[in-house]
Amino acid sequence: MTKMKKTSQICQSKLPDNTALKQQQLPAYRLQLSATGVLSGFFATGAFCLGVGIILILSAKSIKEIEIKYTKICANCAELREDAINFDKECTCSIPFYLSETMQGNVYLYYKLYGFYQNLYRYILSRSNSQLVGTDLKDVGNCAPFSKSHNGTPIAPCGAIANSIFNDTIILSYNLNSSIHMEVPMLRSGITWWTDKYVKFRNPSAINLSSAFTGTAKPPYWSKPVYELDLEDTENNGFLNDDFIVWMRTAAFPTFKKLYRRLNRVQYFIEGLPAGNYSFNITYNFPVTRFKGEKSVVLSTLTWSGGSSLFLGLAYTVTGAVTWLAAFSMMAIHLMLKEKRTLFIER
Amino acid sequence: MLPEPASPATPTGLDLWGQQRATPHQGWQGPAAGPKGQLTHTERKWLGGCVQEVKAMPLGVSHGIAGTLLGEMALCAKKRPPEEERRARANDREYNEKFQYASNCIKTSKYNILTFLPVNLFEQFQEVANTYFLFLLILQLIPQVSSLSWFTTIVPLVLVLAITAVKDATDDYFRHKSDNQVNNRQSQVLIDGSLQQEQWMNVRVGDIIKLENNQFVAADLLLLSSSEPHGLCYIETAELDGETNMKVRQAIPVTSELGDISRLAKFDGEVVCEPPNNKLDKFSGALYWKESKFPLSNQNMLLRGCVLRNTEWCFGLVVFAGPDTKLMQNSGRTKFKRTSIDRLMNTLVLWIFGFLVCMGVILAIGNAIWEHEVGTRFQVYLPWDEAVDSAFFSGFLSFWSYIIILNTVVPISLYVSVEVIRLGHSYFINWDRKMFCMKKQTPAEARTTTLNEELGQVEYVFSDKTGTLTQNVMVFHKCSVRGRSYGDVFDVLGHKAELGERPQPVDFSFNPLADKKFLFWDPTLLEAVKMGDPHTHEFFRLLSLCHTVMSEEKNEGELYYKAQSPDEGALVTAARNFGFVFRSRTPKTITVHEMGTAVTYQLLAILDFNNIRKRMSVIVRNPEGRIRLYCKGADTILLDRLHPSTQELLNTTTDHLNDLDEEYYEEWAQRRLQASLAQDSREDRLASVYEEVESDMMGPLWDLQLLGATAIEDRLQQGVPETIALLTLANIKIWVLTGDKQETAVNIGYSCKMLTDDVTEVFVVTGHTVLEVREELRKAREKMMDSPHTVGNGFTCQEKRPSSKLTSVLEAVAGEYALVINGHSLAHALEADMELEFLETACACKAVICCRVTPLQKAQVVELVKKHKKAVTLAIGDGANDVSMIKTAHIGVGISGQEGIQAVLASDYSFSQFKFLQRLLLVHGRWSYLRMCKFLCYFFYKNFAFTMVHFWFGFFCGFSAQTVYDQYFITLYNIVYTSLPVLAMGVFDQDVPEQRSMEYPKLYEPGQLNLLFNKREFFICIAQGIYASVLVFFLPYGVFAEAARDDGAQLADYQSFAVTVATSLVIVVSVQIGLDTGYWTAINHFFIWGSLAVYFAILFAMHSDGLFRMFPNQFRFVGNAQSSLAQPTVWLTIALTTVVCILPVVAFRFLKLSLKPDLSDTVRYSQLVRKKRAQHRCTRRPGRTSSRRSGYAFAHQEGFGELIMSGKNMRLSSLGLAGFATRSGSGWIESLRRKRSDSPGSPPDKPLKG
Repeated sequence: MTKMKKTSQICQSKLPDNTALKQQQLPAYRLQLSATGVLSGFFATGAFCLGVGIILILSAKSIKEIEIKYTKICANCAELREDAINFDKECTCSIPFYLSETMQGNVYLYYKLYGFYQNLYRYILSRSNSQLVGTDLKDVGNCAPFSKSHNGTPIAPCGAIANSIFNDTIILSYNLNSSIHMEVPMLRSGITWWTDKYVKFRNPSAINLSSAFTGTAKPPYWSKPVYELDLEDTENNGFLNDDFIVWMRTAAFPTFKKLYRRLNRVQYFIEGLPAGNYSFNITYNFPVTRFKGEKSVVLSTLTWSGGSSLFLGLAYTVTGAVTWLAAFSMMAIHLMLKEKRTLFIER
Repeated sequence: MLPEPASPATPTGLDLWGQQRATPHQGWQGPAAGPKGQLTHTERKWLGGCVQEVKAMPLGVSHGIAGTLLGEMALCAKKRPPEEERRARANDREYNEKFQYASNCIKTSKYNILTFLPVNLFEQFQEVANTYFLFLLILQLIPQVSSLSWFTTIVPLVLVLAITAVKDATDDYFRHKSDNQVNNRQSQVLIDGSLQQEQWMNVRVGDIIKLENNQFVAADLLLLSSSEPHGLCYIETAELDGETNMKVRQAIPVTSELGDISRLAKFDGEVVCEPPNNKLDKFSGALYWKESKFPLSNQNMLLRGCVLRNTEWCFGLVVFAGPDTKLMQNSGRTKFKRTSIDRLMNTLVLWIFGFLVCMGVILAIGNAIWEHEVGTRFQVYLPWDEAVDSAFFSGFLSFWSYIIILNTVVPISLYVSVEVIRLGHSYFINWDRKMFCMKKQTPAEARTTTLNEELGQVEYVFSDKTGTLTQNVMVFHKCSVRGRSYGDVFDVLGHKAELGERPQPVDFSFNPLADKKFLFWDPTLLEAVKMGDPHTHEFFRLLSLCHTVMSEEKNEGELYYKAQSPDEGALVTAARNFGFVFRSRTPKTITVHEMGTAVTYQLLAILDFNNIRKRMSVIVRNPEGRIRLYCKGADTILLDRLHPSTQELLNTTTDHLNDLDEEYYEEWAQRRLQASLAQDSREDRLASVYEEVESDMMGPLWDLQLLGATAIEDRLQQGVPETIALLTLANIKIWVLTGDKQETAVNIGYSCKMLTDDVTEVFVVTGHTVLEVREELRKAREKMMDSPHTVGNGFTCQEKRPSSKLTSVLEAVAGEYALVINGHSLAHALEADMELEFLETACACKAVICCRVTPLQKAQVVELVKKHKKAVTLAIGDGANDVSMIKTAHIGVGISGQEGIQAVLASDYSFSQFKFLQRLLLVHGRWSYLRMCKFLCYFFYKNFAFTMVHFWFGFFCGFSAQTVYDQYFITLYNIVYTSLPVLAMGVFDQDVPEQRSMEYPKLYEPGQLNLLFNKREFFICIAQGIYASVLVFFLPYGVFAEAARDDGAQLADYQSFAVTVATSLVIVVSVQIGLDTGYWTAINHFFIWGSLAVYFAILFAMHSDGLFRMFPNQFRFVGNAQSSLAQPTVWLTIALTTVVCILPVVAFRFLKLSLKPDLSDTVRYSQLVRKKRAQHRCTRRPGRTSSRRSGYAFAHQEGFGELIMSGKNMRLSSLGLAGFATRSGSGWIESLRRKRSDSPGSPPDKPLKG
């Protein structure tokens, strides 16, 4: 009797389990491209794309933006910078322009570089985060070719990115009339990412910054050491300098604009930038003509989605239109064939 | 380029799991040489060849190059010069030691703790793929070239290596364990005159060891003596050749006396024999003892791996030990088969490498130009590396950098994933209850895990007949005695009755010994017997005498017959029911109850059956004292020598009897003795002696009578005609290759619906010469082309690359034809100059039947089709004679649970019934193919979409080999973010429910035509991948170039761009896999949503403050995910990218569905509209008359003839008793088991009524 039981158990163990998984009977949804599903999906997507596209185009149109390329305007300065010998000669350049319409709301001032490759493999790599976060000033491991100065002291901040910092100074003046030239109040705060300012970049801890950076050298192209970037505001000095942080967030493409200042909406400028005569006073330090680059300043307002980009709106509109076109033609084909196919199935 | 393993190892270990699981003792079994002595010469030769092949790679010591290394390291197996002969002297270790024979320690394990890592790694790096990734890794270590962090390559590589290594280690651990267990088994060794317990590994050649019942034999032993009379012992060889029946071995007479230890201790005989080999059924040697020479044969040997049964004890002399034993010599791996998709994949991978190099070159040129034009001026901000002195050199370096970056077009995970998917499919086959045979309790088994998708592409099925199409269960169907035929059932009107309308079977109640299960419908035969017709009596007497069946009588009147072949059993059972009951036998007598009276015949000789003779005879002396020879055999053999038979019989065994002259017999018996004592070619000599007496008696000298003929039906297996019809509808061509004669084969063809009434003509090729065969083939072709009879869809042979000549015939063929070709014609047809003609003719036919073919010819036919048709072939068979074709075909299927397991051992898939083939092909194969194709398409798509982005970015980053993505994303993309959804699809996907693929066999066609994954499909997926990469790169580029974030800051910083592109890529490929997945199970949901969730989880984790604080230099993207993915613009970009990538695909698929739906689309559609109509459903065709539904197979096994005659299996006590007529409990097995002491008393005779 027990033997019987045993054998029947053995037999049972040989029979595969009757589970949905093992018998490939798992309950499942069979994906089926049904006409109604596909066509309604297409129409819905098309409607969505058209809607988003139009909204984006409209909002992009509402943006006011002016861009002034000043490499050619300040050609004399550019020429001066061509020669490294003139590194300590100051060159300023004033670019007057007329703002025909008020720029409403927040106005942002950008500098824009053409043909500057912040995305080169070795360039992107050439930085030391552990140095920039203030924990290990001597860590210049990845910073080649700007890791150490000639006498072997580690450079702080090291690396090609830091070394090549954009160092023009741009001051926007509002010319109320021919005699009153007023500097437009600008904020340098709030131009960086929060994580950059409060996590990624920290100054080494010490009584004062200059002592914290002892034993390090300034990057070769810098005119002053890192702890003298902003002597007025300690929160904006050293590695925590906003311009420095912005520069250190490398751009994805060779042409890019980086936020420089934002309008401090006080006095005349509560509503934004009023129409009128302005001029940019630029201290021209950053050489770009050597690599056939260009520099420009950009003033721009924003909308809900950010800066001006007609591209996204257009792309959405076109996609929406094409989707609808496709949906209509598919519907036509489907209706034409439907009759035929029903016949075929019924046959 | 990719895995073409130098070793017989599988390319990645994963399928080894499958193999390991499938055959836990694989290393122990291997494709054994024909262990049964009944194989024909050709068979034997061929099997010998196959074994040679195996011998070249015995498991323990060969694993490619690594194997030889290991072989030398193996502690137990020292390298020795090849042995020419072996000498071993009993009880003389000193003498034997000078030959340095291998000890009995075996080692099947490959590694030990120290060697594991280096050796395993060495083996793994023999894989081209692994080496390629190692090469990339080395490239990355060069700082000037490195463009990725070291871990982007090393993590996947280590993962893959680790998985394989863990699996190898586990396997090896179990091998170690089993080695240890085996080596430490205890055995009793005779040392210095006393029995001592020794571990197996300490047993040496020349030792005498004692075995007890149910013990494993420790080494290859020469049997010296045993507890049984005549030095007999019984063994089970299941582990050796898979046969579970018991075999008998006998000590040579001189040593069988050596029963006690003191005499054995003095035994100093010397064995001189052949060197170690792997032939399980052969042994030749001699024992020299006391100045005499005694020949030894396989009959005297106990081989390692056998189990001693029914024998209290025995002594044996160790002749071969450890690695020299036949078992170990036989262990090996079968040849590794690869699928056409594998080959295609390798080609494609090569192309991709070419493409990779092209991209590298373009980008390198770009780099050189850029460095020359811009880079030189940009040196203020980024001076060149010290090593770089020119733009050209920079370009050269960037080439290698780009090779590293772009290598992900062929990810290492491809190979692992393919193996995982195949493993999954194999499990599905093993788990399938619908392929489980309840009767035999055997599940289907995927013995290799590498061929699954090829099951979906089969075009030609080569099938054995006996045991494959038929059940190999023989039923006594008809007989003919002296020209009178019995067995057909006629109804009142005198028409032959059909199977379904049979009347009551014949009542055998007159005979208490009748077998209740035996059914016969024609009452006239029993009437004839009862009437006392002498011819009928003599006919049944023959059936009850001329056989080698053993009877067992557990209770009075309950007879059990043990027959070596089913047809023999059927004949004896028939005689039993008709009143000629074979009751018991002794070596010298056969007791038969003839119509109730016990008659004892003296048995003088049994001329046993074998496959060459195809007949057997017995010579008996009947109670009247006359010597008679009864002979039965295949009709062709017997009728050749006799007058032609006039009977309408299909499958016949003709039976003869003959009176013999006493003197003649004496003289002949003497010669037979001599022949049987011959040392060499004993079998050949015996055969010729047998031949002599049989042909003499059949000659004119003797009075030979033809008694009658029998027809034994070998029933078709359940579902065979349906399966064949279905497979035919699926455009699979079925060729039957059988050893049977033409008539049988043709009948089987009809009964299993291969040949139907629709067939216009059956061409029969039976030519004996080359010219005849050529002529017959030519005529057949002409007929096919000229035939005026045109049937609509006559076109049969679909070819992918037909030669012009072949198409001409194929196109011209109208109507359905069948070809039947004979073995001897086939031999000519397969010659080099005619094979194409033959193939052309055969392929134009709807059905092809090759009969009387040898195993080698089976393989040749398969090879022919394989070579010239470029089609996937499948061979299915059950016996040793099918091993050749099973191994030759792309896919070999073994029918398990029939004749032994040699076919199964050689096969790739095994199940127990032919009908499961339809499910294996149409369901499992079809799905496997579909899944694998979808998997590959998607896999290449996703990797091109992923990798090509770098190419586009190259134009914007000065070709500096800057990657678009974060390096962690590159590392994880293939192994984490996108691997599981596609794996789930590859394992679980279904396009139509399984019932539909049976209903619409045409659904199988795409696989045969290779439609789902070919070069064209590959380019489509590549193009789709590139399209996706363009959008995934340029849409964000277009947006980012100008836009600003909503807080006014720059949007187009590198890190935000990287995150945006990566996220849109992951979403796009996830949506795409969602579209590709046709069958959304919970697992698919879990994996797809899970992968997305894991992507975001890892993204946020990698960009978290915590990780940055710990490793500021490694996690540079701190805060990026939070910051970027909070931007509406980023999400709008991602959404747009997804829409633009996916919508065209949907539109394309929808249009294809509407304009050019394939069958599976239509099936799905029709299901959707709930109009399930089975237009292609296989319709049952009216069956043939039952009279043709029969098959015949003659015994494939040699009987117990020799054993019976020797009387060795009979107990002395039973011998004494057996002289009397009946005795309860005279079953021979029973008698073997019973001890001499407790032998039961014989109950008094009980005469039977009747």
